[in-house]
Amino acid sequence: MSAVSAAAPLLEVSKLNKHFGGLYAVKNVSFGVQRGEIVGVLGPNGAGKTTLYNLLTGFIAPDAGATIRFEGRSLLGLAPHRIAGLGISRTFQLCRPFVGMSVAENVIVGALGARRHGITDHEALAAGLLRRVGLAGKDRLPVEVLSYGDQRRLEIARALAAGPALLLLDEPFAGLGSGEIEDLSTLIRQVHAEEGLTVVLIEHKLREFMRLVGRVIALDFGEVIAEGTPEAIVQHPAVIEAYIGRGNVDPLEAGRAA
Amino acid sequence: MLEILIVGAVSSAIYAMLAVGFTLIFGVARILNLAHGTFYALGAYGAYFFTSSFKLPLLLAALLAVALVAAFGIAVERVLIRPMRKSQLAMLMITLAVALVVEQALFLTFGSEYRNVPAFVDAKFTIGGVSIGGARLLALGVGVVLIGALWLFIQHTRMGSAILAISQDAEAAQYMGIPSDRIFALVMGISAALAAAAGVLAGPFLTVQPTMWLLPIVKAFAIVVVGGLGSIPGSILAALMLGYAETIVGYLISTSWTEIVSVAATLLMLVVRPAGFFGRRASF
Amino acid sequence: MFRKPVDLVGAAAFLAFMAALPLVFRSNYLIGVLTVSVIYGIWAVTWDFMSGLTGRENFGHSLFIGVGAYTAGFMNTTFGMPGWWSLPAAMVMAVLFALLIGLPTLRLKGPYFALAMLSGAVIMQRLMLIFWEHTGGEEGINGLTPLIRNQLGFYYFALATLAAITALLLALARSHWGLILRAIRGDEATCQAAGINVTFYKIASLTISAAFAGAGGAMYAHYQLQVSPQLFAVVTSITIITMVYVGGMASIYGPVGGAILLVLLTELLRNFGEWRLMVYSCVLIAILFFVPGGLVAPTWRRIKAARGWGP
Repeated sequence: MSAVSAAAPLLEVSKLNKHFGGLYAVKNVSFGVQRGEIVGVLGPNGAGKTTLYNLLTGFIAPDAGATIRFEGRSLLGLAPHRIAGLGISRTFQLCRPFVGMSVAENVIVGALGARRHGITDHEALAAGLLRRVGLAGKDRLPVEVLSYGDQRRLEIARALAAGPALLLLDEPFAGLGSGEIEDLSTLIRQVHAEEGLTVVLIEHKLREFMRLVGRVIALDFGEVIAEGTPEAIVQHPAVIEAYIGRGNVDPLEAGRAA
Repeated sequence: MLEILIVGAVSSAIYAMLAVGFTLIFGVARILNLAHGTFYALGAYGAYFFTSSFKLPLLLAALLAVALVAAFGIAVERVLIRPMRKSQLAMLMITLAVALVVEQALFLTFGSEYRNVPAFVDAKFTIGGVSIGGARLLALGVGVVLIGALWLFIQHTRMGSAILAISQDAEAAQYMGIPSDRIFALVMGISAALAAAAGVLAGPFLTVQPTMWLLPIVKAFAIVVVGGLGSIPGSILAALMLGYAETIVGYLISTSWTEIVSVAATLLMLVVRPAGFFGRRASF
Repeated sequence: MFRKPVDLVGAAAFLAFMAALPLVFRSNYLIGVLTVSVIYGIWAVTWDFMSGLTGRENFGHSLFIGVGAYTAGFMNTTFGMPGWWSLPAAMVMAVLFALLIGLPTLRLKGPYFALAMLSGAVIMQRLMLIFWEHTGGEEGINGLTPLIRNQLGFYYFALATLAAITALLLALARSHWGLILRAIRGDEATCQAAGINVTFYKIASLTISAAFAGAGGAMYAHYQLQVSPQLFAVVTSITIITMVYVGGMASIYGPVGGAILLVLLTELLRNFGEWRLMVYSCVLIAILFFVPGGLVAPTWRRIKAARGWGP
C-alpha cells in the first residue's frame, strides 16, 4: 500500500473548471495528492480525465477561479515545459514515440529538459532506465519496431528520465494484453516503491487498477462523484450508476471485459 | 461609391471561383494544390488559343478550354499528386513543379507578351451613372451562377453528400464504401473547371501572361486561410472581403498596393486565428 | 562531431577537390559556376538545418536571402560602407526578419507554416517593387563593390565560409540540439511534457538558419555586384529545397552536393536556351518521383557500408 504522510499535499487542486462552448468538460474538481501515494482517476469515456491532465500540465488553461498547487507553488499560467521542469512528468493516452529516432534517443530526449541540467552522461542514464523498464539491449533499435507494450514501457522510461516527483500516467494499460498489463503494473509498483515517486493513474481497466492504487477519485461528466479506497469506490452507488447509466454492466465486469 | 460596389463585386466573384475550387480540393483530399493558378492561366490561354488559331466561336472555345483544363487537372491528380500523398512537402513541391512546367510551356508557346482574350460582351453598360464593361458584368453573373450551382450540387445530390462526408472524415467515409479515389478525381475536375472558367471570363480584362498563375494562388490561399481551409461558405465570405478590400485600397491608395492586401491579410489571419472563420484547428 | 574518422577524411578530400578544381582547369567560367554553387550550398545547408531536422518546411527561405542581399546593397551603395560590413549587417537583418515572421508562424501546422513563409517572401518581393524609388524596383540595386577583387580569392573565401557553416551546423545537428529538433519533428506535445521549450528551439533554429542564409545573400550580392527582387522569388526557394532533396534531407552535408549537382545541371542546360527552366522543372518532378530519399548522402552512406568503413 502507499505511505500517506500528514504533511501538506504534493499536488493540490481546488475549484477546477473548464468549459468549451456551453459544455463543462471539468466541473468544480477539487482533490489533493499526498507525497508517495498512488492515486487512481476513474471514469467512463468522456468523463474529463484527460482534460484534467491537460489542465494540470498546462496544455489547456482552466477557467478563472481555479487553484493548482504543486509543492506549494501555483501552476496557473505556466507553459507545459515549465510545469514539466518543476517535476511533473506525464504520459499520453496514445503512445507517441519520436519516430525516426532510436529507443535510447527517445529516452535521452526525456532528460534534456530544464530540470536535468546537471547530467553529463545521457547515454548511461538512458541505458539504466531502459534496463529498469525491461527494455535492456534494445537501445539502438529504431523506435518504430517496438511492440505496443514495449512502446508503453519506453514512454515510462522517458517520463522517468526527467527525474520527476510526480508521475501522471494516462491509460497506460490501453491496448495491452493481460500478461503485459501485469508486467507493466509490477513495473509501476516497483518504480513507485524504489523512487518514492508519487503516481497518479487514469484507467478504465479496473482489475489491475484496483490492485495498484491506494485511493481512487471517480469522475463523471467532469465532476468528482466519489473518492475513497478501491473497494469502497466499486460499491459506491454514484459510481455504479455512472457505469450502468452508460448501458454498461458493473465496473468490475466492465474491467474484465475490456 | 457605386463603382466600388460593382467593381468589388466583380473581383469577389472571380476570387470566389478560384478560392472555392482550391478549398474544395483541400477539404476533400487534403491537397494544397499550388498548381491551381495554372488552371486559371490555362483557361485564359485556352480561350485565346482556340479563338485565334482555330477560329472557333468564343462560346465553343471557352467550353472546350474549360473541359480540357478539367481533364488536365484530373490527370495531374491521378498521375503526379496521388503517388506523393504520403508527404505534404512532396505534394507541395510537385504541384509547384507542375506550375513551373505549365508556366514555361505557356512561355515557350506564346511568348511573354500579354495576350488578348476576346470578350463575350464588348459593349459597355451604364448602371446608376457608372460605366462598366460588359465582360466584367458577365464574369460577375456567371460566377454567381456557377458557385450557386456547385452549392446546390453539394447540398442536394448523393455525390455532393459523398463529398461532404469525405471532407469531414476521410477514413469513416471509406469504411462506408464511398469511393474516395473517384471523388478526388471529380472534385479535382470541378476545381480545375471553376478556375478555368474564371480565367476565360477574366481574361478580357485582366493581364494574360505566362506568370499569371502565381498571384491567383497567393490570393486563393489568402482567401482560403481567412475563410477557413475546407469551408466553401468561408471562402465565399472571405472572397467578398478580399475583393472589396482590394478594390477600396486600389481606389483610395494606389493599385500597386492591392497585391499586398491579400498577402498581408493571410499573415494577419494566420497569426490571429489560423483556422480562419469557419475552418478547423491549424495550430498546436 | 563526425561519426567516424572516415567522415572527416571524406570532408577533407571533398574540400581539397573543390579547392583544386579551378587550379587544374584554369577557367574563369568554372570559377564562376563553382562560386555560385558554393553560395547555393550555404543556402541549402541552412535550410536543411531548420526544415530538414524539424520537419517544418520553410517555403520562404528566399526571404532571408533577399533581406541579406538588399541589406548588403543598401549598406554598400546608399550608405557607402565598405563591403565587409555587409556580412554582419545582413545577418542581423535576417535574424530580425526571422523573429518577426517566425514568432507568429512557427506554431502553425505544416502546410500553414510553409505557405506563411511563402507569403512573407512574396510580400517582400512586392514591397521592393512598390517602393521602387528607394529600392530600384525591377532593376534593383546596382554598383556594389566586390569583397575580394580576385575571383579565385573570393571563391576560396566562399568555400571556406561554406565549410565553416556546414561544420558548425553539423556539430549542432549531431549534438543534443539536433536530437531535440528531431524530437520536435516526432511529437511536439511529448517534447513539451519532457520539459523542453519547443518554441525556443524552433525560433532559435529558424534564426540561425536565417542568419547564415542572409550572410550568403550578402556574399551573393557582392559577387554579382547587383541585387534584384528576383532573389525573393518562389523559384529560389524551390531550387534550394530541391537541392536538399537531392542531397538527402536532414543530413546537413548532403545538400552541399545537391547544390553543386543542381548548379551544374543548370549550366549544362544553358544549351537548351529558352527551354532551360522547363527541363529543370521536369527534372524536379523526376527527382521527386525517383529519388525522394536523395542522392548524395545515401550514396556516401552506401559507400561507407560497402567498404566496411563504418556506419
